[in-house]
Amino acid sequence: MGSTHSMENDKIILGDTEVLKTDLLTLNMGPQHPATHGVLRVEIKTDSEVVVEATPHLGYLHRCMEKHCEHLDYRGVIPFVDRLDYLAAMNMEMGYVLAVEKMLGTEVPKRAWYVRTIVLELQRIASHLMYFGTYAIDLGAFSPFLYAFQDRENILRLFEEISGARLLYNYIWIGGVWNDLNDEQLARIKKFLGEWEENFKKYNALVGENKIFIGRTANVGVYTKEHVEDYGLTGPVLRGSGIKWDLRKDRTYGIYDQLEFNVPVGEGLKGQLGDCWDRYFVRMQEMNESIKIIRQCLDGIEEGPVMAKVSKIIKLPEGEIYTRTECPRGELGIHIISDGGKTPYRLKVKSPCFTHVSSLPAIAPGMMIADLVASIGSIDIVLGEVDR
Amino acid sequence: METIQLKKAPEQELTFGQWFRNVYDAVKSTAVGMGITFKYVWGVKPVTIEYPEVREELPSNSRSRLFNDAENCISCLQCSVACPVDCIYITAVKRPADAEKIKTKDGTPIKLDLKQYTIDTALCCYCGLCTTVCPTECLTHTTDYEFSTYTLAQMKYDYLAPDIRAWRKRLIKD
Repeated sequence: MGSTHSMENDKIILGDTEVLKTDLLTLNMGPQHPATHGVLRVEIKTDSEVVVEATPHLGYLHRCMEKHCEHLDYRGVIPFVDRLDYLAAMNMEMGYVLAVEKMLGTEVPKRAWYVRTIVLELQRIASHLMYFGTYAIDLGAFSPFLYAFQDRENILRLFEEISGARLLYNYIWIGGVWNDLNDEQLARIKKFLGEWEENFKKYNALVGENKIFIGRTANVGVYTKEHVEDYGLTGPVLRGSGIKWDLRKDRTYGIYDQLEFNVPVGEGLKGQLGDCWDRYFVRMQEMNESIKIIRQCLDGIEEGPVMAKVSKIIKLPEGEIYTRTECPRGELGIHIISDGGKTPYRLKVKSPCFTHVSSLPAIAPGMMIADLVASIGSIDIVLGEVDR
Repeated sequence: METIQLKKAPEQELTFGQWFRNVYDAVKSTAVGMGITFKYVWGVKPVTIEYPEVREELPSNSRSRLFNDAENCISCLQCSVACPVDCIYITAVKRPADAEKIKTKDGTPIKLDLKQYTIDTALCCYCGLCTTVCPTECLTHTTDYEFSTYTLAQMKYDYLAPDIRAWRKRLIKD
């Protein structure tokens, strides 16, 4: 883990000059630290202000979800996968439901897929808005958070109307979705899309193009392509390092193959390729692409049922399945092993945030402490998903 | 020998022109941001509400406090089976054969006498699975969201108790 460090030989080089070697200071960042987005503890060894070693300690939010799911029927698992990534619960449900549906061989109605795609992309926007707001807070700007939440509120209000809850929806069911979207709600989504252009400009002017923000994020926390490949990083972190890979496009599921959208990648516009600013850029562009997808869904949505016929007691055939879906934070893998009974024999979740946290010791050495905060913020972790 | 190299951006040489360009960029981008902020000082209506004075009405199918209309319950136990956290406790006994025949509002005959119907609301995860399986639709999520209590024991709602049944007038609109 991290770099090995011996007291006699190490040197700190600041620019071209060697600075005085001081004793290492061990600092605990977290578990209750506002910049760790939950209860993550990072044990950092610092030499003056330079991080020599960073070790993340996990498990503070472990809720035994995987084990608990072994005692639940397949419908009862859905509220639990909601609680993995509570900022993007729709996407979590989708990953799980897709696995069960594939194993059951359920034909999901066309309208249900359109409704699903709309809510998934709205959720992606809501999640990225949350990133935008909290990342600005990490770097010391408070007001962007309020603007982001104002827009996020529109989405959450809509979700509350269709599903009944604001964060943990239990909306995407095996075989379709719980409730249908009515015309008034579709019109409201259209209105939200209409206002997006202006909002996006506001966000970018307020944060993305700000000189201070660029100063804090450009050339900071650089993930090179080697890092990404070594640690198996996915999602915006992967795309921020300039690799064009999106499961919605490359391993398509649902109706994503019928929709047109681009996969934004980092270009190193303000600094090195793969720095924090690139990840910010990728996320902002992804929101634009989501808007594009929702527009196409609103045009293409057709009348029909939103729920397929599924038997009252779901029993999966014996066997196992691994599905992966593209969540706002990366690639979610769900591995279900079934022994033919009413409950899963084993349910394993491959979480994107876990791999992202594991990569921290690789990039942390040599960073300033403030830059470490910026790096943790930019990989956008949710601890509910890391610990499960 | 290992050296920790401070991660530092490859910096361009700071020329006189670059220095002024940096200052210009900083001033301009800050001014743009401040401009956006100042737009909100006047003429924009506040989006927040003053909570205890102004109460928000939740959407009609919002999932909040559970309420069981015990007169229409047929004690089928489907809700407690569906519950992923096992927070619904039901006890029912067989109705004697010579007792008066009673029916629920939608005409389903009641064959079991409900002796206990308790929901531990502190355990409830508000997933809504119990309400979707209820055949007589007597168990519903209401839009009532103000139910904090001082002790955990108070969160156990016995829906056969008269004080909790009195909520019906306030919570259920029919």
